[in-house]
Amino acid sequence: MQKEEFTTYHPITNIIFFLGAIILGMFLMHPVYVVISMVMSLAYLFTIKGKKAFKELAYMGILFVLMSVINPIFNRMGVTVLFRYLGRPFTLEALIYGIALGGMLVSILCWFACYNAVMTSDKFIYIFGKMIPSVSLILSMILRLIPNFIKKTKQISQARQCIGMAGNASENKMEKLRNGATVLSTMTSWALEGGIITADSMRARGYGSGKKTNFAIYYFEKRNIILICVMGLLLAGTIFTAVMGGAHAAFIPNIEMTWFGDINMFGGAIAYAFFLFLPTFLNLKEKIKWRVLRSRI
Amino acid sequence: MARIEIKNLSFSYPTSDGRFALKDVSLTIEEGQYVTLCGRSGSGKSTLLNQLKTVLTPNGNKEGGVYLDGVLLEDVDLRTQSSTIGYVMQNPDSQIVTDKVWHELAFGLENLGYDQRTIRTRVAEMASYFGIQTWFHRDVNELSGGQKQLLNLAAIMAMQPSVLILDEPTSQLDPIAASDFLNTVKKINLELGTTIIITEHRLEDIFHASDMVVVMEKGKVIACDEPKKVGAYLKEQNSDMFAAMPTPVKVYYGVADKAKRDLGEVPLTVREGRSWLTSIFEGKKAEINTLPINPYKENETDMPAISLKDVWFRYERDLPDILKGTTFNVEKGSIFAFVGGNGTGKSTTLKTICNMLKPYRGTVMIDGRKISSYKKGELFDHNLAMLPQDPKSLFVKQTVREDLEEMLGPKESKRLEMLEEKNGFENVPLDERIAEVAKLCDIEYLLLSHPYDISGGEQQRVALAKVLLTNPKILLLDEPTKGIDNFFKLQFAAILKKLKASGVTILMVSHDVEFCAKYADTVGMFFDGGMITANVPSKFFAENSFYTTSANRMSRHIFKDAITDEDLIQLCLANFKLMRKKIHEQEQ
Repeated sequence: MQKEEFTTYHPITNIIFFLGAIILGMFLMHPVYVVISMVMSLAYLFTIKGKKAFKELAYMGILFVLMSVINPIFNRMGVTVLFRYLGRPFTLEALIYGIALGGMLVSILCWFACYNAVMTSDKFIYIFGKMIPSVSLILSMILRLIPNFIKKTKQISQARQCIGMAGNASENKMEKLRNGATVLSTMTSWALEGGIITADSMRARGYGSGKKTNFAIYYFEKRNIILICVMGLLLAGTIFTAVMGGAHAAFIPNIEMTWFGDINMFGGAIAYAFFLFLPTFLNLKEKIKWRVLRSRI
Repeated sequence: MARIEIKNLSFSYPTSDGRFALKDVSLTIEEGQYVTLCGRSGSGKSTLLNQLKTVLTPNGNKEGGVYLDGVLLEDVDLRTQSSTIGYVMQNPDSQIVTDKVWHELAFGLENLGYDQRTIRTRVAEMASYFGIQTWFHRDVNELSGGQKQLLNLAAIMAMQPSVLILDEPTSQLDPIAASDFLNTVKKINLELGTTIIITEHRLEDIFHASDMVVVMEKGKVIACDEPKKVGAYLKEQNSDMFAAMPTPVKVYYGVADKAKRDLGEVPLTVREGRSWLTSIFEGKKAEINTLPINPYKENETDMPAISLKDVWFRYERDLPDILKGTTFNVEKGSIFAFVGGNGTGKSTTLKTICNMLKPYRGTVMIDGRKISSYKKGELFDHNLAMLPQDPKSLFVKQTVREDLEEMLGPKESKRLEMLEEKNGFENVPLDERIAEVAKLCDIEYLLLSHPYDISGGEQQRVALAKVLLTNPKILLLDEPTKGIDNFFKLQFAAILKKLKASGVTILMVSHDVEFCAKYADTVGMFFDGGMITANVPSKFFAENSFYTTSANRMSRHIFKDAITDEDLIQLCLANFKLMRKKIHEQEQ
């Protein structure tokens, strides 16, 4: 992963952005808005992952094409018939609707990919812990145990293979199943034993001895407040104009949508674009800043 | 006033029919003392430590009491107990609670209800003191065993306890990580004045550093004194705890036993041992400086049991090579040990021999046959077997007996029948086979216990018994002495010797230099993905100056190749005899 500026912001700032981007992305079906969301999410993904983003893009490209083509195949509504297949109409409206759907899906997936890179498990736990404190510790413990269990399961089945108790050539399906069950039950008793030790370790360190606080390593500095204010303004702008009908788009049976002449549509699109551009902007700004700093040396 | 005072403490578990786990224990531990608690497994060490923290005390009948600063421990509230008495357990993995290093450090402080600022400062302090800052943001799953245990220690120290209890903290660590850890504990004791109570198998690293050594046997304290006196006492009593003493102490008393002369003060460390040896040979030359040994014969057998030739392996195309042209042969019917640091490819080599991992270049031959020519499962069919590092990974049943029977399931019976028809001889019934292997591994008294209820050394032997039921010709051992105390090591070695005598080839990977020196026929050094050298132990260790036994480090300036304490004692005595003879001749 490349150096990412937005990650260094407070988890609350991060989550506001992603909630905004993903929820708006799902509701705003207007093609212009979809294009904005797609472009911005891809741009952000590139600043986070660099060349590795191409790999994910390939899958998304396939998904995009599938969505665009499949929708008109099943959706026969629409007035402009492009051609007929098996006697069924293939309409322009359904095609455009499919393209918009595909675009929306791809952009949401991109935002989730960015979310995964930025919102690490500890940030997620922090946000969750703010809402339900007791759950946050459980989540943290689960996140620690899962990889542990996977490792141990592997260890047990390998140990059994090395004494010839599993993986024999003559083994049939039933035996394989039975072996799997044995490994699982061994795993369980092992995990229970470990659980007792963990419980002891928790009590030995004063768990349950009184009121507990939640510690977090995040700082909520001024730049977070500024960024949240800016995000708030842009979000409000986008939502307001959308409510005013700026993002209105209907595809079926007729394509009917607001266009750039409408001030609500124009302003909303700009606010939306700026909002989604924020993290990418932070990254670019930082890159330029360092380049300038270096050139001064 | 004494920090911790244990007065006439007796304790028995409810299921033990009145057998005492602790009997009439009285101890006084002063502020800032470093106390080492030793004794065989099951002597009551851990039971005693658990009594020092009420949340860890199991149910049972208890008499007498433990006093913290003059107050009965039960009357000290939980919060004070949690913060003043820190407790580090044996298993580095299970005692970690959260998924991030920083969160783990803060966990205890969260429980004590400190505010953000205090926690932040304390965590920062601890991370700096223990050198954790470079992996502060990491997932705990990415850490090595040594790092995990250090994290556990740091997380406890963040609560600023004045008493630190450690229950065999290094038994799961390799020697280098273990001595790092113990040095940190010593540093805490010296720099912060924290009272330390520690139990350990590896006395070598902590014996000399302790202010007081407490020896326990069958729930009783049999000795409690400063280290030098404890050594003398154990020798006098001819206690089997003496086997756990550091090498210099063992050598000193071994020599003192036979040689009737003044030997000066008992040495506790290698450094003291060196000057002690110098002093007893002062002005005289040690004329006999080597023992007769069998020279190492390389590649003399035409068909080695295991043979690796130019084996290269890496996990993925883009990852670095783990094995880089590994080449070595293991002679049939011998014990071959290889030593080396972590991450040098030792475990990978074992997995390659087990056909778990496939090298991308080079050949592995088992019993003269290419490993790829073995059918799936055929390799482990009465041919090769591996004892895993953690014996628990082999236990799947409720009792030891059932676990052993699992190995002789229906498939095994069918195979035996077939053999019977083919060869026409009568087979040993299954019960007898279990009895036989149980006798060999000395686990007859454990057959009805649950495999999780027995000690580490016993688990190791049960696991070995289970492995042996496959009748292996080649036995692979991965760190067989990890977490086992010295008596069990002796027992384990005796079993290995018996197996060797019956023609089994044994290949083991170990960090335990002393064990390899004593019992292996050949020792190899693994480094950077390959076997660098291999030789008979005495030659191998005599050539090394760091990676060698303490007996060798202690005596290398006088003797050429004394590598075990027995060698050293033998050489000292032989020289004494020679000197006496000379003096005698001169007199005549």
